[in-house]
Amino acid sequence: MSLDITRINPAFADVMPQEYKDLVADGPFGRQLGVRDLGTFQELLEEHPLCAGCNLALAFRALVASLPNPEDSVLVGSTGCNSIAFPQLALHNVHSLFGNQNAVASGLKRALTLRFPGRVKDVVVVAGDGATADIGLDMTLHSWFRGEKITTVMLDNEVYANTGGQESGMTAQGEVRNMAPTGKKFEKIRLPDLAVDAGCAYVAVANTGNLARLGKVFRRAVLVAREVGPTYLQVYTPCPTNLKMNPAGSVGLAKERGKKDYGFREHLTPEAEQCLAAREGTAGSGEEEKNAP
Amino acid sequence: MYVTASVDDERCNGCRLCILACPEPNTIVHFPAPQKVRVVAARCKGCGLCVEHCPRGCVSLERPPAAAGA
Ligand code: SF4
Repeated sequence: MSLDITRINPAFADVMPQEYKDLVADGPFGRQLGVRDLGTFQELLEEHPLCAGCNLALAFRALVASLPNPEDSVLVGSTGCNSIAFPQLALHNVHSLFGNQNAVASGLKRALTLRFPGRVKDVVVVAGDGATADIGLDMTLHSWFRGEKITTVMLDNEVYANTGGQESGMTAQGEVRNMAPTGKKFEKIRLPDLAVDAGCAYVAVANTGNLARLGKVFRRAVLVAREVGPTYLQVYTPCPTNLKMNPAGSVGLAKERGKKDYGFREHLTPEAEQCLAAREGTAGSGEEEKNAP
Repeated sequence: MYVTASVDDERCNGCRLCILACPEPNTIVHFPAPQKVRVVAARCKGCGLCVEHCPRGCVSLERPPAAAGA
């Protein structure tokens, strides 16, 4: 059983940190948990070092809580605010060079498929807007063209947040940033449309204003990537620090944008629809998603 | 931290909406019996998202007693 890899050797039990003991006793491994269970179990993410009220951290919580198979998942990150939360993850994870994340994830997925032919191994890329849509756009698109069975999640805060606030390709036109004082001159990159054209089996756009839906679409993205082909999820995660706003209002901003230009959207190919119908048909219990013990 | 969230135990009905708004892992913990939540002050960064999202208005930001005199 997968929980065995987390179980503590009795000889080391007294020197293990409390968080680790809690994870073994009350973690999500081997259970089917989701966003609605947050607050009732030991999460896979520990104290993150991001700013107070960071919506990226909020989205990250929802994502790791919704992994269908945390014990058999590998997260691939890239340079960005979210990468400083990766060391706090109790999951297999890889930090790639800036922009390389989809190339690293493709190789990893292929290697895991060869190494563990009888087991399902989910490979999920979680990166920011800079890594996905600017610096790593070529590798992101080519992994989609090749039909790699990986999930790509962009946490879109519309800014290079941890280097001081330069505009990114995902910043909306006209928006002013710390290091773009006259405003962004061109349109926000339409990456969801590009993902559809590049052959992603499932594409969704969500925001931190509705965490339950975010967890659901993330789970869908992972399940479709497992069986059908590449999937893409774009999440609006406003950054209170760079937007110079009261952190308490940041989820409100996500909701507001969700009603205007960052609304929920989903695109499924017929194959993805079939896959989800088979998976979710049984009231979405999720039990059938597990690897055999 | 200079400010942390705290929950009014009397009025909280354990709906857990504050937990869904909190970006910090394992910071607001839910107890099923009785239906209540508790804030782990040492982990709270005092962003106030839970205060905004509690429909019963029972979460507030306070200075913890240790910092109050500082
Ligand atoms: S949102 Fe308010 S009522 Fe609901 S669990 Fe949190 S503190 Fe209690």
